[in-house]
Amino acid sequence: MVTKTAVPPQHSKVVIPDSITLVINDRKFKFSVGDGANDVSPSETLLDTLRKRLQFTGSKESCGVGACGCCAVIVNGDAVAACMTLTADLDGKSVTTLEGLEDAKKGLDPIQQAFIDEYAFQCGYCTPGIIMVSKALFMKNAHPTPDEIREALAGNYCRCISHYTVLRALNKVAGNKDAELSNFVRAVDLVEDPIPVAEEMYHSPYANGHVCKHSLD
Amino acid sequence: MKFRDVKQPNYRHVGKYTPRKDAKEIVTGKAIFLDDFSLPHMLYARTKRSPYPHAKIVKIDTSAAQALEGVRAVVTGENAPFLSVLGYPVHRTFFEDKVCQVGEPVALVAADSLEIADEAVDLIKVEYEQLPAVFRADLARLDGAPQLYPDRFEHNEVDPGCPYFQPDGAWWQIKRGNPDKALKEAAFVASDKIDFNQMPCPAAPEAPSIIARYEGNEVFTLWASAGSSHIMKLELEAYMPGFTTDIVTFNVGGCYGNKQAMLVQAISASMLAHATKQPVKLILSKAEQLTSFEVRLGSVMDATIGMDKDGIVTAVKGTWFVDNGSVCNATGGQVGVGLGEAQLVLAKCENWFMDSQMVVTNRQQAGIVRGYGGQELNSCLEKLLCAVMQQGNFNPLDVLKKNYVSHGDRYQWRDGRTYRSRSSFFFPEVMQQTADRFGWAEKWKGWMKPTSVNGTKARGVGMGVIGNADVQEDNTECIVRVIPKLDVQNIGGGQCFVTVETDVTESGMGQRSNACKVAAEVFNCPVEWVSITPSGSKFNPSNFGLCGSRGTITTLKPVSEAAADAKRKAMEIASHKLERPVDQLYMKDMVIYVRDTPEINVAVSKLADRELSIVGYGKHTEKFDVPSCMTVFIEVEVDLETGHTEVVRLAGGTDIGQIIDSKALEMQLHGGVGSACLDTAIFEECCLDEASGRPMANSMIDYKWRTFNEIPPYDAYVMESQIDTFMFKAIGIGEISGAALASATLMAISNATGVSVKEYPATPRIVLKAMGKA
Repeated sequence: MVTKTAVPPQHSKVVIPDSITLVINDRKFKFSVGDGANDVSPSETLLDTLRKRLQFTGSKESCGVGACGCCAVIVNGDAVAACMTLTADLDGKSVTTLEGLEDAKKGLDPIQQAFIDEYAFQCGYCTPGIIMVSKALFMKNAHPTPDEIREALAGNYCRCISHYTVLRALNKVAGNKDAELSNFVRAVDLVEDPIPVAEEMYHSPYANGHVCKHSLD
Repeated sequence: MKFRDVKQPNYRHVGKYTPRKDAKEIVTGKAIFLDDFSLPHMLYARTKRSPYPHAKIVKIDTSAAQALEGVRAVVTGENAPFLSVLGYPVHRTFFEDKVCQVGEPVALVAADSLEIADEAVDLIKVEYEQLPAVFRADLARLDGAPQLYPDRFEHNEVDPGCPYFQPDGAWWQIKRGNPDKALKEAAFVASDKIDFNQMPCPAAPEAPSIIARYEGNEVFTLWASAGSSHIMKLELEAYMPGFTTDIVTFNVGGCYGNKQAMLVQAISASMLAHATKQPVKLILSKAEQLTSFEVRLGSVMDATIGMDKDGIVTAVKGTWFVDNGSVCNATGGQVGVGLGEAQLVLAKCENWFMDSQMVVTNRQQAGIVRGYGGQELNSCLEKLLCAVMQQGNFNPLDVLKKNYVSHGDRYQWRDGRTYRSRSSFFFPEVMQQTADRFGWAEKWKGWMKPTSVNGTKARGVGMGVIGNADVQEDNTECIVRVIPKLDVQNIGGGQCFVTVETDVTESGMGQRSNACKVAAEVFNCPVEWVSITPSGSKFNPSNFGLCGSRGTITTLKPVSEAAADAKRKAMEIASHKLERPVDQLYMKDMVIYVRDTPEINVAVSKLADRELSIVGYGKHTEKFDVPSCMTVFIEVEVDLETGHTEVVRLAGGTDIGQIIDSKALEMQLHGGVGSACLDTAIFEECCLDEASGRPMANSMIDYKWRTFNEIPPYDAYVMESQIDTFMFKAIGIGEISGAALASATLMAISNATGVSVKEYPATPRIVLKAMGKA
């Protein structure tokens, strides 16, 4: 491959290729590197390449300094902050974004499905990064412990507090039992010796009838 | 009445978990947030900001910026395309000849790219003459303090009240009974001045973001990461006189009240769009969001509380100083709610003089943040309540159970009117049940006594209670349409779809899906058959938005009423077709059956005239007579050598009336751990360098936040007593789920350390200082 130097060679060993090839979500992309109108500039971040150049907008821009994890993607099996990764450094690497997790035949990744089943998000802005960091963890360790999961996600910011349901979803995927960090108790479930009621006929009292568990109806 | 005797309906959908309508889009990256959206010919905006907290602008030179290739407009006070004002009450123009906070816009740039806009901002040269600045509300009122708006606010004091919320006139004080006499007669009295004044940042992961396009004829369209298109439109049209705005929203990446309107950003983008006649996208950088966007109100309370020998608060007298930062935007509404919530917590008190004073200072502009005034005052008031409870050696659980608003108690709300609670009979029982599950009786050892000590680690517990009668605030309307599937081949079809038309933006609460869910409940059909119109102000019926936990009642009530109205019409038509009275019919899965002979039936799709739908209408008009209640408990572990505090465990309890969606509610309770609630008592603050007036945390590395491996266990206890609100007997809770956590945390830290820690946040330095170690 023909390369050019970014700075005079006597000051640095950094070399920047003329062109780079990446596999992103199983598709091969080739970019020329430089200052031209359509070139990937040496300072272009992976996040900008994904979002602005390729319209993979699943990865979210938030802190811009690698602190919040909203932009996390997987590069060669490792979760990285796309806002702190230069595209020009990724020649020959494989990148997976949230858009690449769903399998055309098998459907959603088990982590994605667990996030739906456990409602493991609120606003959803941090969710792409949380899922990708989780996926990278599970790719290396199919059965992480609850502590390993919490530690892996320590760099992911979530302000709505989806933490409890995220951990519930991931512990489910990992097969961890008794890992629940939050309990949700409905008082009605604790009523002892409920008053017997008529056999249920209709589902909805406002649609077509009125049935109660604990009333004298 | 006992809880077990409360009638518990057995719904098909309501109360159960239903995956959100946008769940698959969220987990696959296909959900659209503002920065995922673009318009043709769009320009990019950046803002030149003041580096000084208070300074006259002597000169602005934009010539170099304007000459830069790719720059399409540079707007300053000298060439602004239209007049815009700021503040409610209005107290300034958008561009003044001076700046009142670090980060205040002094010039706006629109360019072909962000990089060019950034370069242009650097080329703008501004000459300032610095002025003295003031950073505390109580100091800003003093003679000789720097004046921000001397022609408008004497001593920086903002006109009290909020006319939009207070049609009978301004209300900003609780005045009743004889507090002086009651204080003299009280068995226990405590006085103190308490700060909750660090003005933390809600820090939504998605920065405030706007795209503005000028349509001509004084009309703008704005695409915004706003929590409420209605609030944004309401305020923006007041601040850009003569213009009409249509607001479109997307999925919003965290709001917490903080991104409801984003007025400065919206006006900035609109000015540039007007100047260039091109769409302009303005997205704040994280540094801008943290250091110049709206933060939580500053709060200082100087008050005295009296309590009788039974633990009933008998008198409250004091003043609440509210720091707006550099601009006051309808803070009178927050003050009204804060004063209202204080009365809910101390509802048996008959002697009040609680004054409030809103003040402008040279700090970062404050705005709406989850808790909306209530959290700010509660964090001071319940801390002072600790002092008087300690004097009487009362168990706080007993005191808060006795004093909290009961069914039938009276209180004034934000409009200044007096209401009588029609809410739950079970709030004390919820407090007790939550306490029992938390293990309060075993952990509570008395005031300033740790639950346990292990070496240098001491544990302590605390609790708090707060309530909110805003759950029915503001009016909303909804249209529900039952739309038969088009049947061009006239094959009889049979399928129907339901469309809910109301303006709800999804910022995490799941109320868009809940609206579909209650409509499906009314029609007794699958939720998948119901959809909701895209959020935006132009084509939807009016909806004030999701604020004050209002969404549960004020959105779901009109939706369910509109659905019931449409259903009633369908049943009446079916009654004619089937020749049976309506009360002999029932509907399931969009087929109407005769009750005893279900083989006689008709599909709803055949009831409407061809090409037409069956339409229902519902509305909600505001009331304030059903307060909610949130009880929280916390156990902390304090390192007595380092002063570091860890949260060991949390518990929260509420009577929600009826759960609409179990998992959505659970997360609303969890939400109190985030969004500048719990950690405002432990480590969250906007640190200010008072020498320069500059906020010091300008990245998510500097600003402290709770990580996944620091999340404590949370026990939620939820009662459903079927509160008389609307068809589904539910109320909302998210606004206040964490609002009492700050005061509860200081109680717990004080008990762990054995000394009263009363400064927020209780960082290691504060804890060690209180212990006499620093």
